Amino acid sequence: MARRRGLAGRIVRYLLLIVVCAWTLAPVVWMVSLSFKGPTEWYAPNILPMQPIIDNYVNLFIPTNPIGGSYFFTSITEPVTKPLINSLIAAGLGTLFAVLVGFLAAYGVSRYRAGGTFTIFFTLLTRMLPGATFVAPLMVFYSSIRLIDTYIGLILLYTAVTLTYAIWLMKGFIDEIPPEWEEAALLEGASPWTVLRKVTIPLTKGGLAASALFIFILNWSEFLFALVISVTQVGTLPVQISKYVSAVGRMYGTQASLGIMATIPSVTLGYLIQKHLVTGFTFGRIR
Amino acid sequence: MAKLVVKKLRKLFGTFEAVKDVSFQVEEKETLCLLGPSGCGKTTTLRMIAGLEVPTSGEILVDGVLVNDVPPQKRQIGLVFQDYAIFPHLSVFENIAYGLKVRKMPDAQIKTKVHETASLVDVESILDVPGKKLGLSEMQRVAIGRSIALDPKLLLLDEPLSNIDAKARERMRAELGKLQKEIGIATVYVTHDQLEAMTLADRIAVMRNGLIEQIGTTSEIYDNARTLFVANFIGSPSMNLIDCELVYGQECAVLKSGDFTFDVTELAKRIGEKPRGKQLVLGMRPENISLNVEKTNPEAMEAEVQLVEPVGAKSIYHIKIAGVTVLAKGYAMPGVNIGSRVWATFNRDKLHLFDKETEEGII
Amino acid sequence: MEITDRLAQWMGKTESFKKFSTLPLSLVLNFVLIVPFAIMIYLSFTKWEPLAGYDWWRAPIAGIPRFIEAFGDARLAWALIRTAIFVAVVLPLEFFLGLGMALLFLGDFRGKKAFTSVILYPMMMPWVVVGLGFNLMFQYFGPVNLLILRPVFGEGAMIDWFTDPVLAFSVIMLADIWQWTPLMFLIIYAGLAAVPRRLVEAAEVLGASPSRILRTVRLPVIKPLVVIALIIRGLEAFKVFDIVYIMTGGGPGGNLTEVISLYIYKLAIVYNNTSYACAVSLIIMVAIALITRLAIKPLEVKVE
Repeated sequence: MARRRGLAGRIVRYLLLIVVCAWTLAPVVWMVSLSFKGPTEWYAPNILPMQPIIDNYVNLFIPTNPIGGSYFFTSITEPVTKPLINSLIAAGLGTLFAVLVGFLAAYGVSRYRAGGTFTIFFTLLTRMLPGATFVAPLMVFYSSIRLIDTYIGLILLYTAVTLTYAIWLMKGFIDEIPPEWEEAALLEGASPWTVLRKVTIPLTKGGLAASALFIFILNWSEFLFALVISVTQVGTLPVQISKYVSAVGRMYGTQASLGIMATIPSVTLGYLIQKHLVTGFTFGRIR
Repeated sequence: MAKLVVKKLRKLFGTFEAVKDVSFQVEEKETLCLLGPSGCGKTTTLRMIAGLEVPTSGEILVDGVLVNDVPPQKRQIGLVFQDYAIFPHLSVFENIAYGLKVRKMPDAQIKTKVHETASLVDVESILDVPGKKLGLSEMQRVAIGRSIALDPKLLLLDEPLSNIDAKARERMRAELGKLQKEIGIATVYVTHDQLEAMTLADRIAVMRNGLIEQIGTTSEIYDNARTLFVANFIGSPSMNLIDCELVYGQECAVLKSGDFTFDVTELAKRIGEKPRGKQLVLGMRPENISLNVEKTNPEAMEAEVQLVEPVGAKSIYHIKIAGVTVLAKGYAMPGVNIGSRVWATFNRDKLHLFDKETEEGII
Repeated sequence: MEITDRLAQWMGKTESFKKFSTLPLSLVLNFVLIVPFAIMIYLSFTKWEPLAGYDWWRAPIAGIPRFIEAFGDARLAWALIRTAIFVAVVLPLEFFLGLGMALLFLGDFRGKKAFTSVILYPMMMPWVVVGLGFNLMFQYFGPVNLLILRPVFGEGAMIDWFTDPVLAFSVIMLADIWQWTPLMFLIIYAGLAAVPRRLVEAAEVLGASPSRILRTVRLPVIKPLVVIALIIRGLEAFKVFDIVYIMTGGGPGGNLTEVISLYIYKLAIVYNNTSYACAVSLIIMVAIALITRLAIKPLEVKVE
């Protein structure tokens, strides 16, 4: 188009962009830097560690006291492998079930108007209410049926919490497929299940994958319910982080390394679905 | 001096040459129509005049001033888009007033001007309606009103009637024609509909593949098509085109196509020597072929009716003359049906002859 | 005949499919949400705690003393006020910063994709890690003090961020802004890019400058989108928990940065004051449902 951006304008734009990027990257840069620093440098302002060590990462898996040859102690004595695995299981299975149940429900709502307005209203409601408001009765309920500190309990919770997102997102993708194709298959005698398998799913694969990844990120980051449900067995990574932060002995380096480790999966997945974020996610929501 | 002068305009999009070499002028109060099929470069040319595209080379002068480097904001040109681009969140009043507000005109003055313009385009009754609730023909009028409210030097219209269904189009075309006479601004009008062009324009520039094939008044274009493309494009139904050869006999010249012959001895001088031996195309508009049940004209050729298409008071006859099928348009002849024998006379004054290869007109 | 038979068959299957498709959904929701919800309603009318010595379903109905208690609870009021302040500050800032960023990204320039990727990642970080990161940055011997304040303003300028409630709350708000401005940016940018080019061109030909076009054409066209985005983000902001827990745990002073989610959590888990927690939760739920119902009603036409 007939628009020429002056050189000054371009320079200003790039300058501002750099400022914004610096602001955006600052926390992560600092955490990465801390995670490679020894205890002597934890209170120092330098960004690049003068004596980089990987003890912080190692210490996560093999907690040793003292760390890095100094006298810093910590009250954390278990390695981080268990919380890590718990996070993977809870987030993974929670996502899987949320996607399965959600897809089915989204399909039913989209094509067959299943559930009526109540379902829609209810799913909206679960998004609006703070998780904390469910905590009190949840504790009572779960302890009565002995689901506290169990995998099943946690996975069930994760599924329920992210179901709303699942339905919302996937309904958007399903709506984009013209129903005529499915109707054609139905009129040829196919059962609704076959239609799903052969028609709908192949067409919405991309959207489904993106939704699944998005929900995984949500579950991976989930904190409140994991904190409430877990006692010793099913603590997830975020729970572990909170333990590190409040533990005796401020192990900044190890906190940082744990933070970095917890972030990598979700950010990586986030990059994968970035394209979908812009198109499907924002507009799917509005629709 | 001409209001708008376009000189050797050229536009490249990457390696695609949308506009190759376009030049024309538009005078005060004149309406020029850029006519052509999709992709011929007419809209691109229009956008360059408006300032929304930058020409790769060439000049655009408005009132004698070079405007190539002037941004669209400052060109004082009105532009009506194909889909009208009415601001949906503003009312009709605010739409028309938009440009006036930009110029910081005082409110009272804006009010007067908007009402003036609104009555001109007949939208006074809907001044309060929000843009998104307007119907298509209303939108068109508001779009025009919005442009002319600023008293632009030049008005550009990009296929304004192509969005409207056939029924309403006739009415809108008439309204548009009336409006143009009333407003009297130099106008450039882009369309692919040759009927529109013929009705609304003072002059027509027929474009194809980024070039102007022919530019002239409506009657010039119609009666004296200079290229095969122009001849074919204009006219409904299109001109009859018959492949033929020029055969010279003693004292006579004849256009021959199989068994079909047409004597052109009178025009031999005008035709000249060049076409000898080349593949030619004879062009004759259906309206210029007269039919009669009897051979009243000695030059009339015998023809057999193959199909009759009634179109209102007239009918289109598909006839076969000596193995060649042509269409003739004339008043309905009762009793003439498929298989009837009629006599067809070609109007020699309106004969077109083209070189098949170069597509250029010989007469 | 065959066709009608088949159709009938299909109809039958459709009906059962319809019910079946939402069955798993109902099961899960019922189990995880509705049952606890019912329990919550029940318990809020009792006076029970886990340490009371008897099972909860045997707790006697005590009427509404819990609710009355809630209305007299100053700590609850403060938690609500703080949460309201949080939302009121964070939302406009995220909007304007997001708008600024979207404007910055308008048009084409080299490296746009790379810059976009960088800008968006904060949204994808786990919330607790965001809290952790800001915690680490704002420690007394952390980079904010050491790299910014001390070099610029001298030795005395170093601040103990987490001992002052206002400062601590500000850092918490900063963390939320840091994380969620990219979402606003995304929504606004997508909206702006979707403004039909014709409208912008029409405004140009009418003489409008780029800033005028922004004000009079682009922003009004994306207004509905923005409103929805603000509502969604506003609701999420109200629910804030993770970053507060990690960064201050509600402190200093035990509860000077406490937001509503944190207070309810403490009531239920730390103080074990179960029935009161249920009562408070119920009040909050009803309030939110009512408010959103009122606000959504006029928008319902646009959303569906």
